Order: sequence, then C-alpha cells, then structure tokens
Amino acid sequence: MIDSLLHGLAVVLQPMNFLILLSAVFIGFIGGALPGISGVILVVILLPVTYGMEPTTAFMLLTAIYASTVFSGLITAILYRAPGTPEAVMTSFDGYPMTQRGEAGKALGIGILSSAVGGMVGTIALIVFTPMLASVALQFSSPEFFALAVLGLTVVASLGGSVLLGLIGAMIGLFIASVGIDPVTGTLRYTFGNLNLASGINLIPIIVGLFAISEVLKRAQGNAPHQTVKKVRIRIFDGAILKKIRATLARSSILGVGIGILPGIGASTAAMVSYSEAVRWSKHPERFGHGEPEGVAAPESANNAAAMGALVPLFALGIPGSGTTAIILGAFIMHGLQPGPAFMSGNGELIYAVFVGLLLVNVMILAFAKPFVAVLSRVLNVPYAALGPIILICCVVGTYSVQNSMFDVWLMLGFGVAGFFLEKIRFPLVAIILGVVLGPIAESELRRSLAMSQGDPSIFFTRPISASLLAVAIVVVTLAIVMPLVKRYRRGANAAS
Amino acid sequence: MFNKYNLVAIGSAVLLATGSSAVMASSQADYPDGNIKILVAAGAGGGTDNFARTVQPMLEKNLDTTVMVINLPTASGAIAHQRTANSEPDGQTLDFASSTYITSLAAGQNPTGLDQLTPVARMQSDVMTLIVNPEKYEDFDAFMKHAEENPGDVVIGGTAAASPDKMAFLNFQEASGLDMSFIPYDQEGSVSSNVLSGNIDGMFGEISSIIGYMDSGKMKPILVFAEERLEGFPEIPTTVEHGWDLTDGNERGVFVDAETPEQTVAAIESALHEVYQSDKYQDYVSRVHLDYRDGWMGSEAYRQALEEDLEQYKRLLNQQNGQ
Repeated sequence: MIDSLLHGLAVVLQPMNFLILLSAVFIGFIGGALPGISGVILVVILLPVTYGMEPTTAFMLLTAIYASTVFSGLITAILYRAPGTPEAVMTSFDGYPMTQRGEAGKALGIGILSSAVGGMVGTIALIVFTPMLASVALQFSSPEFFALAVLGLTVVASLGGSVLLGLIGAMIGLFIASVGIDPVTGTLRYTFGNLNLASGINLIPIIVGLFAISEVLKRAQGNAPHQTVKKVRIRIFDGAILKKIRATLARSSILGVGIGILPGIGASTAAMVSYSEAVRWSKHPERFGHGEPEGVAAPESANNAAAMGALVPLFALGIPGSGTTAIILGAFIMHGLQPGPAFMSGNGELIYAVFVGLLLVNVMILAFAKPFVAVLSRVLNVPYAALGPIILICCVVGTYSVQNSMFDVWLMLGFGVAGFFLEKIRFPLVAIILGVVLGPIAESELRRSLAMSQGDPSIFFTRPISASLLAVAIVVVTLAIVMPLVKRYRRGANAAS
Repeated sequence: MFNKYNLVAIGSAVLLATGSSAVMASSQADYPDGNIKILVAAGAGGGTDNFARTVQPMLEKNLDTTVMVINLPTASGAIAHQRTANSEPDGQTLDFASSTYITSLAAGQNPTGLDQLTPVARMQSDVMTLIVNPEKYEDFDAFMKHAEENPGDVVIGGTAAASPDKMAFLNFQEASGLDMSFIPYDQEGSVSSNVLSGNIDGMFGEISSIIGYMDSGKMKPILVFAEERLEGFPEIPTTVEHGWDLTDGNERGVFVDAETPEQTVAAIESALHEVYQSDKYQDYVSRVHLDYRDGWMGSEAYRQALEEDLEQYKRLLNQQNGQ
C-alpha cells in the first residue's frame, strides 16, 4: 500500500495535476463560502469540463472540490450566520454567537482546525479501511437507518432551552418533511395541486431562509449587537482551546466517518448527530447555542470526516454515500469506468492518486484557509447597509440555482420571514432542522423495514445494530425526563433539611 | 463560483453575438430560428442528464446554433414537461425525458399528458432485468421455485414509487402470478446495497448499472425483459421464452410542445437522427452499455409505443390499488 501511495503522490505532483488540485481547492473555497452554492452544484458545473481530461486528473479535481467545499461552508456560517453549505448549518449555532461576542477569529480557528483534523481522519480511514468498512456499511439496512434517525431525534430532549418548544420545532420539521410524493405509495401529500411541491421542500431554501435571511432582517432592524472587532485574528493552534476540544474532535471525527460510510446518509446528518452527541457528553449542555467552542468543533470535524467516509462505499462497492458522491459515480460511468466491488483492484493508480490528492487538500486547508478567511472576514468591516443586500442577492441566486426554481426562492424568503419571528420568541430553530433532515429517513425507513418483515415490528429488536441504537435512544429519553425530576427532588430535600 | 458568473456573462455575450448570425441563417432554413433550450426532466449527473449533455454539442454543430441545457429535476421532471407544453411551438424548447415521464403520468403525478407533448424521437432503450445476489439464488429457476413455495416472502427493491422499476415489477408479478412485495428506495445505491447484503431478494434494473458487480460475482441478472437472449449474455433466460410478453426497459427520448408544426417536428427528428447515427454518439452508447438493443424510434412509432405503455401502466396501478 505504501508503494501505491508513493506512486499516487508522484502522479499528484505532476505539474499539471498539482495545478489543477490547487485551483480545485480555491474554487471549492469560494463556492463553499457562498450560501446556496454547495459541493453538489460545483461538481455538476465542472463535470462537463472534466470530460476532456484524463480520468485520474478529472477525479482528483472533482474530489478536491468536494472536500474543500465541505470545509469552507463554515466561514459564512460563523461570520454572518449564512451557512455556505447545508453541512455547515450546525456550525452557525455556536460559531455565530462567538462572532457576536467578538470571538470570530477564535471560532474560525477552531473551525479550520476541526475541519482539517476531521478531513485527515476521514481520509486515513478511507485509505486504510475502505474494503473493511464497506462491508460494515452493508450491515445497515432500513431498520438500522430508522433506529439511527430516532436516536438523532431524541436529542431534542437534551438540547437545552424549552423542551416543549423543542418538541414543537421537531414536529414542524417533521411536517415540512412530509410534504411531497409519499416515498412508498407515490401519493401526493400536502401539495395543494402545486407541482413545485410534488418532490417535497428542498433543504437549501429552508436553511438559507431560516438562518441567513432571518439574520439579514434582524440586522436591518438595527438593534442587533454590533461587531466591534476591526481585525479578525485567526489562531488555528491554540494550546488552551485544543485541550478543551480534543475529546470532542476525536469523538466527532470517528462518528463522522462512521455515519459518512452509510449509504444515503451524508455529511449534513453527520454534523447534526455529532453536535447532538457533543451536547449530550458535555458537562455544560446549556452553553451550547450561545457560543460554545465545542459546538463549532463537533460539526466541523464530523462533516469533513463524513465527506471522506462517503467515498468509502463509492470506491469499495460503487454505492454512493451522499448526494455529491452520487454525481461523482455518474462521472465515473461517463469516463467509461465501471464502479463496483472490482473497481479498486482494477483502477489502483487512479484511486491512490485520488487518496493522496485528498490528503493534500486537507493540508492545503490548514495552510491556505487562514489567508483566505482573513480576506473574507475583512468584509465584516463593510457597513451592513451594503453587506446585507449582497448576502441577500447571494442567497437568492444560490437558492435559484439548486433546481432552477423561482418557487424555491419564494419559499426561502417565506422561511426567512418565519425564522425572523420565531427567533423573536427564542424558538429553537435547530429542532426544526433536525426534523426536516431526519424525518424523511425515519419515515421511509420505518415503512421499508415493515415491508421487509411483512408488517412484523419485531424486526427492529431482533437485529443487533438496530436493537442497540433503539435501546440507547430509550435510555437517553428516560434520563432526560428523570434527571430533572431527581434534581428537583434533591433540591427539595436539601431545602427541607 | 465567480467562474460561474463569468461563464454566464461570457455566455450571454456569446448569445448576443451569435443571435444575429442565427437570424441570417434562418432565411435559408426555417428551423431553428434562434437558440435552442434543452429542458432535462431530471437532476444533473444522472443518465438522462448525461444523455442531454452528450447530444447538446452535436446538435449545436449540426444545427449551427447555440443549445443551452437546463436541469429541472423538481417533481420527477413534471415541471420540465409542463414548461415544454407551455413553450412557444417553434421546436426550440426540447424536453429530454426518460420513461419516468410515462410512469409518473400513469400514477397521476404528472399533469402533462401525451395530448400536450409530441414525442420527437426515442434515442435510447435499455433492457430491464431482474437482478439477484447469486449467493441467494443461483438462477431464475431457483428464484421461481423459492417464490412459488413461499408466497409473500420475496421482497424486490427498486427506485421510487412510480418508476420504470416499479412498472417492471407489476408487469412481472402479473405475468408470473407470483406473490411478492416491492420496496421503493430513494436512490439506486440503496437498492443495490440491500441486494448485496441480502436484506432483500432482488431488484429490477439495467445491466449497464451493475456490470462491476457481475464481474466480481456479487450480483447476477437472472431474467432479461427481451424477445431474444442478449448477445453478450446468452446464459440469461428471457421473459418471452417463459411465455410472458414483457419487453420493458428504461427509454430516453425527446419531446416538444404538441402545437409544434409537423415540418418542424420532422426537422428536429432528422437532426436527432443524424446525431444518433454519428460515430461520436455511438461511441458514447457503447461506453455506457446502452447498445443491447437499437435505441432509435421515430416520432410516430414512439407515440404509439408510449400510448400502449401508458394504458398498460394505468391498468397495473389500478389493479394494485384495487387489491
């Protein structure tokens, strides 16, 4: 394997290939930073360009763009609460409050470091374990996915803030997720005869609306806290912070890889689940959402690790682990390559060049992110009267370009207004997103599981992985209900004595 | 991303520049009178998108005009069909669609019927196959035997609830009289991973998408929906030899607004035929393994085939819902 990697390095370091890799990283940086432009869109735009290239060069380009967009979504998420990619939504929950406190540099530093660490862990797992991990991923079928989604949803109970509002939020999210064609019977639900709603509500308009637009509206009102920082000092390696977040980094990176390799579950879900776990494991869960450094480290290490993990089933089995990898799979076929279990043994040179390329991309993120972000964060000094409209335009253009749909733009603006008012009553927007992302997985996998077992619900408890995940979910919910009662009882007992 | 804006800017400049030359060319031929817009009834990166983007430069060359590709994946492409039906009937808005157009129409998910669109040509016809994990079923006889002895036990996967895969399943179920169930998945990858892991018994799909798995012995097509055995796969039995008249497969073709004049439709058809016959197009066809049967079908024949499919699918879906 070392031989193959060295050979791969030689291929990557060919001047033309290296140049393409470098430019791919920068295209990815810029595209990822713009709200609404996700890795999927960039890969699609560049796909026709790659048809004229050698397959090795083409796939280095596509995978490098893919990896760097997942990283750079955090920049605007932290600075303007306008997540550049869906993967970075969770990052804004604690990243943006840090910016408001004048700690933008700290938040960005944590984000960059976490991304690079997650990306490296993911790439190393990809290189070392691909054949092994792929067979683990196959153990996951509908009952396991259902259990995973349920476990993810239970975090609403431990998010802090009002549990009731959290539950309402998750329900709203689940409702939004149920719009569109029923995944099993094909019946239209809540579409009111409008074709634009038939395939459901896309995630991008919801995210961009709820987070970016509502923030623009809030700032336009002029009573939001003003940034006083003139210069953002980014520190990537900070001993004190590193000590604080290292456990989160390790846990989230591994969790990210694990979730990333599951077919059909992408980096956004990984970021969400690892954020939930960071809240759950923290001694101060109440600090999350108000600028907790671990709240930036967890989703950023997980989403980058998951992005690499999603390549595992692609290379090992020809099964895409996420939306972008599905398009990369299509590109393989257009280049005349046949993905499948024999793909790795037949295309060793290409695959190892891509692996080495990905490792280099993560090194480049560490090296180039700081100057790139420094330039972008200067924009913070631009008066908001000018910056706000620019953010608004980016959001409109980005949302439109996802499906070439004006309807999505109106939806996004609608969610923006809704988000603005929901924030006024301190409604936990994260709960809505949880419902929207995990709802479709929970619903369709529940129904598929029951179809697999001819309607017998014991399928969830006779399969070991699904049974353990559901058991953890039950324990978590029970603890979340019982612990406050125990605390209250103790306080009562103390007061009495 | 700035690249994209630049591209758009450059692109529109090119459009402005070429617009005038296109007008001059139109005095010689009626079609096309300006730029052509391809609406792809699917997302970027899939089979239909690859088809459209392969044809685009060839059409540009043959017709000497600018051809733009726009993906409209919303509602399984229903928006693309609707927009084509509402477009100017000048043949300059082309709808590139797959069999999903007709299956979603049969399922009532797509309001744009065959009275609103004119099929110009079919250019691809893939062969539907029943695919299993060879560890589970060695061949079609073993599959049939198990399904007959264990009614209701066999679970087949496919993509989406109103897809060509689902119609193949309904067709096969009716013809064979077997008692089986169908699980629709969101993505093809999820279907194949469930077959690989043995969580489901099989799936309906195309040979082209599983060649890699066949070579390594992880998946095996055991029944092809064709009249005669396929050239490269003489060992796989066909539906027709079992006495079932089923020759389904995912088809891809081009549609225009129904009000488009006949001559214009004919002009597009001949331009597409020229593309179809070119070495470059045939090279792509063999690269993506779409050469198991002849893809070409002219406007009239294609319409007739689609109308027959529509009737059949409607009947099958009604029967299923009646149960």
